[in-house]
Amino acid sequence: MGTIVDSLAGKRIAVCVGPGGVGKTTLAAAIGLKRALDGGRVLVCTIDPARRLAAALGLESLGNFEARVPAHKFAAAGLAPRGQLHAMMLDVKRTWDDLIARHAPDRHRQERIYQNRIYQQLSSALAGSQEYMAMEKLYELATERDYDLVVLDTPPTAHALDFLEAPDRILDFLGNETARLLLAPALGAGKLGLRLFQLGGSYIARTLARFTGSEVLRDLAEFMASFQGMYEGFKNRAAAVRALLAQPDVGFVIVSSPGPLSVEEALYFHEHLHAGAMPIAGVIANRVTPDLWEAGGPLPGAEALDPLLSSRGEIAPGLALRLARTLAEHQAFARADAREVRRLFAEVDGARAAVPRLESDVHDLSGLARLAAWL
Amino acid sequence: MAGPSLLDRRLLLVTGKGGVGKSTVSAALALLAARAGKRVLVCEVNARERVAPLLGAPPAGPVIREALPGLSTVNVTPQESMREYGLMVLKFRTIYDAVFENRLVRYFLKAIPSLAELVMLGKILHETRAEERGRPRWDLVVVDAPATGHAVQLFRVPAVLMDTVPAGPLRRDAEWMRDLLLDPAKTALSIVTLPEEMPVNESIELDAQVREVLGIPRGVLFVNALPEIRFPPAERERLASLEAEPPPLGPAARAAVLQARRAEEAGHYAQRVLAAVDLPAAVLPLLALDHWGLEAVERIAEAIEAGLGSRS
Repeated sequence: MGTIVDSLAGKRIAVCVGPGGVGKTTLAAAIGLKRALDGGRVLVCTIDPARRLAAALGLESLGNFEARVPAHKFAAAGLAPRGQLHAMMLDVKRTWDDLIARHAPDRHRQERIYQNRIYQQLSSALAGSQEYMAMEKLYELATERDYDLVVLDTPPTAHALDFLEAPDRILDFLGNETARLLLAPALGAGKLGLRLFQLGGSYIARTLARFTGSEVLRDLAEFMASFQGMYEGFKNRAAAVRALLAQPDVGFVIVSSPGPLSVEEALYFHEHLHAGAMPIAGVIANRVTPDLWEAGGPLPGAEALDPLLSSRGEIAPGLALRLARTLAEHQAFARADAREVRRLFAEVDGARAAVPRLESDVHDLSGLARLAAWL
Repeated sequence: MAGPSLLDRRLLLVTGKGGVGKSTVSAALALLAARAGKRVLVCEVNARERVAPLLGAPPAGPVIREALPGLSTVNVTPQESMREYGLMVLKFRTIYDAVFENRLVRYFLKAIPSLAELVMLGKILHETRAEERGRPRWDLVVVDAPATGHAVQLFRVPAVLMDTVPAGPLRRDAEWMRDLLLDPAKTALSIVTLPEEMPVNESIELDAQVREVLGIPRGVLFVNALPEIRFPPAERERLASLEAEPPPLGPAARAAVLQARRAEEAGHYAQRVLAAVDLPAAVLPLLALDHWGLEAVERIAEAIEAGLGSRS
């Protein structure tokens, strides 16, 4: 079976996916750190405005550019990397703007799109926009830079599917044939201002206008008009991203906590990666409560602990009772976690790692290195 | 908290970072209100349904269904809300069918940003103000809202539309929706957090956004799953020296040390969020339960009642 690190050994791209709040960003950084220690030139790209990650990496802040973790930070953590570690944070709006600049035929068209309200909403607020841009950035990093490994930490999606479907959904939006049909007269006229309220003049368009107000339709028509001719470029690019993700040198790492809801979501994710023939490198169960009663058998009551405590001079009132209760509760958490981890591991192909709940949060490079040891 | 006490409002919005226990808190608030004789509706927003199962009932789906006496739930979806909203605007099913059942039009509607959020929010707020036989259909509507970022997006939609859409049907709806969301006599937005670093940071930022961006009246800060302080620091140190003992003492000491560290760390984060967020707070206990269902909801409801009883 091997470890997560083993199964990522030949990979050039690692994509960490999973529900929010399970420590994905930190694990992505730990995966990147491990490869950098072993001699790789690595970039970790996160979408979370995780100041803590920046701090843990010894960087002032993370931005939409690649910053190298300075050597003295490694030295301070007692680490001697044979490679390099870089990190950046994805800026969704900037990535959209760059993408438009890349595809727009001229400066004028580019500005027209930047000013459009539909575009402004699309690039900042539309569901799936983050996910699409994460993929877009990944493609750019993978094809235009020479990292040995790019680790992508994906946004916490409301729905597991968003991540894989978002590019298609947004392309649907951009290439919306319906909008073209309905708005065709307005588009064809070229002078949108004059044809505003004519919107095809059809029964359907008029009824829609009653529903949304005609201004919304005008914005949309204008957006579609300024996008004309660019759609093919977008579509080709998205197809290339999709193809890239199915390559054998890509590895998806599914991250989950042992919470039942997290596990359900992680399994859902796994199912869809699997159905989409995406290469799965492994699964990580993070923050698992360790089993302290490995021998099994009934847990001790206060009466069993009391004499042992007194023989060591511990005579605080109720201590035996508190200890017995705490151990029982701990084991209840451990049992529940173990059950969920089993459920998770049973379904997933590839490497598996159960990372115990560490005693304190990861704050620096040495903390990340300790975490990486479990992978 | 200005205005009436939490459960005497008409619309309770519950949000926070993913996985902090929003659904459990929403279910517990609804349970408290239902037990006080109110008719309560809990709305989940296009989610994998959790509230009805937590209450021991089957999922409701997109149509309102009673989970317990006086307590109904619904999973608000864009499709169903769009249908209801469309029917309301266009009045006649024949027109609706002709227009909205048109494949091309359905496709087109998906392309209008924020429309899905608008109709889902519209459905929820419509239920809040709906009347039947001269009295409100629901005494209380609880919204188990999406996680932080998505919730802010959702609740901002009316204000955003008022900025961008000129007079017309969309704008009129945006107006009454915004008025209801901002009404301190009726509405309150509560934040659920865990006493951990990331959820606490996110809650502090969320609270600032609620004040500065949303302007929705604020309700209560729920600090969920706080472990109790069970071992004083000096005792913990001595127990740490017993960790290497053979069972049963060693493992028991180890469990105690881990519990003490966790409680200390959690206490630190709880203090931080309580100091930074200026709201009435309810601290809820960490429950060591094997199964998360009605029993958990009841125990959380008790803790909420105890925590809020005197102040709100």
